Amino acid sequence: MSVGAFNGHGVWAIYKAEMARALRTLWQSVATPVITTSLYFVVFGGAIGSRMQQVGGVDYGSFIVPGLIMLTLLTQSISNASIGIYFPKFTGTIYELLSAPISAVETVIGFVGAAATKSLVLGLIILATSTLFVDLHIQHPGAMIAFLVLTALTFSMFGFIIGVWANGFEQLSIVPALLVTPLTFLGGAFYSIDMLPEPWRTVSLFNPVVYLVSGFRWSFFGQGDVSVGVSLGFIGLLLLLCLGAIMWIFRTGYRLKP
Amino acid sequence: MDTILSLAGVGKTYKSGHVALRSVDLEIKRGEIFALLGPNGAGKTTMIGIVCGLVSPSSGTITIDGHDAVKDYRKARAMLGLVPQELSTDAFTKVRATLEFTRGLFGRGPDRAYIDELLKDLSLWDKRDTKIMELSGGMKRRVLIAKALAHRPEILFLDEPTAGVDVELRRDMWRLIAKLRERGTTIILTTHYIEEAEEMADRVGVISKGQLLLVEEKHALMKKLGKREMDILLVDPLTAIPPELAEWDLTLEDDGNRLRYVFDAQAERTGIPSLLRRLPDLGIAFKDLETHKSSLEDIFVDLVSEKKEQAA
Ligand SMILES: Nc1ncnc2c1ncn2[C@@H]1O[C@H](COP(=O)(O)OP(=O)(O)OP(=O)(O)O)[C@@H](O)[C@H]1O
Ligand SMILES: [Mg+2]
Repeated sequence: MSVGAFNGHGVWAIYKAEMARALRTLWQSVATPVITTSLYFVVFGGAIGSRMQQVGGVDYGSFIVPGLIMLTLLTQSISNASIGIYFPKFTGTIYELLSAPISAVETVIGFVGAAATKSLVLGLIILATSTLFVDLHIQHPGAMIAFLVLTALTFSMFGFIIGVWANGFEQLSIVPALLVTPLTFLGGAFYSIDMLPEPWRTVSLFNPVVYLVSGFRWSFFGQGDVSVGVSLGFIGLLLLLCLGAIMWIFRTGYRLKP
Repeated sequence: MDTILSLAGVGKTYKSGHVALRSVDLEIKRGEIFALLGPNGAGKTTMIGIVCGLVSPSSGTITIDGHDAVKDYRKARAMLGLVPQELSTDAFTKVRATLEFTRGLFGRGPDRAYIDELLKDLSLWDKRDTKIMELSGGMKRRVLIAKALAHRPEILFLDEPTAGVDVELRRDMWRLIAKLRERGTTIILTTHYIEEAEEMADRVGVISKGQLLLVEEKHALMKKLGKREMDILLVDPLTAIPPELAEWDLTLEDDGNRLRYVFDAQAERTGIPSLLRRLPDLGIAFKDLETHKSSLEDIFVDLVSEKKEQAA
């Protein structure tokens, strides 16, 4: 649909409203992930890590940092974006979005942009928190930021899709709980998949999170489970899949319009 | 006057299989106030929803000031403002912020002076920094009206604007509508009440069971709808209407205890005096009389049967 110019005011309105929502719950948005992450450091880094010593020449405490950030990034992106779109559906205020002269792409930029911003900020806060526990030296800061941004965007879109699909608050939390958290734990967040026996090593390669964590870890330590190019390509592919699904949702009005 | 909104063959069958709208054709004139009158479930909200993009139509096309509502949706929708039937509001947002949000969503930059004016017009000025959830129902409705106007729409839809509204808000609303009308805004509202349509509208469309039965200038319609009923409560029930009373076209109700006469209140000769003189002549005694306006249902039944006759 080529008619009319980009509705920048509309995108900004959504973005601002979503950010305002986050600021209203600032403490719980920040405190929960920071406390959770600190606990991981104490348990995995301190208690277990002291026995594990090193993984591929990296201290175990440092080794788990990229995985922990990814875990937060994935869960927060999904929950932020899914609630962002589910809530208007639930309260009925979605009528405004549907009746506005705003395109699917613009709506998504507003919601996903805000959700991704929030989880990026959280990711950086956790990075900062982790420097309190371990020494970190990031080898490829540019690539690290790129992975952060791409992952936040992709999983915010995924969250947006879940929010559109969900018909109740239970459904909203079921995908993160049943899919994302297990995949992250099994995705090499706390170990290198090289440490796994076959066939689990091969099975792990079907887990998308492996590629995210691996690429992200590469940007820290210059080494990962798969090559960084494969990781990047994989995130790109996920991003396109989510984008395609969202376009389809708006074209058909799936679960948005009767 | 030219047409600002036109619906051609617009129909809607919901996924449940329910046919909510049957091929509606309708032209709304620029600057008019149009009332959509119909009972519960007639399809009023569905029709407005389709025009505003909330419901996908099963058939038909909609043109808004020359713009196709689907292909040219940006220009088309930028012209519309909608006050929904349900009080759907974002509980945690403050009043002014929610107006600014809507304005932005509809592609307009900030305009503080105009938003201030809206807040004052709708007596929301004191509440401008209050969270919406702390407002009463009537206040929420004011907020919804203000939101719908935040981007200065040319066409305003009011879906049952007077449901749950007190006298004061009703008065404020009439004042606002008069002001909007002066500015040239086209207004489309829905209602269950003939009186309300009569009070506000230039033209009235009557809708029932998804069918737009007729569209008329208000005055022409009021004449048509100005029927009254008189019930004659009999002392002794009748089993049949005597042939001598044929010219009044009476019906027997309530197991023969009531004679019902339907007459046109605006006609010069209602036929009542002659009927009342005739009854004692026939030895029919009565104890009381009741007159009332035909109910909306009666009117719909009349209109539907009239339409069928025309079609036949
Ligand atoms: N989402 C939906 N799915 C299925 N049926 C629906 C849906 N929305 C409305 N309907 C049905 O369509 C018909 C028309 O509904 P609509 O809300 O348009 O009526 P209305 O004229 O606005 O009524 P009211 O005066 O009660 O507001 C009703 O029978 C209703 O039950
Ligand atoms: Mg309705």
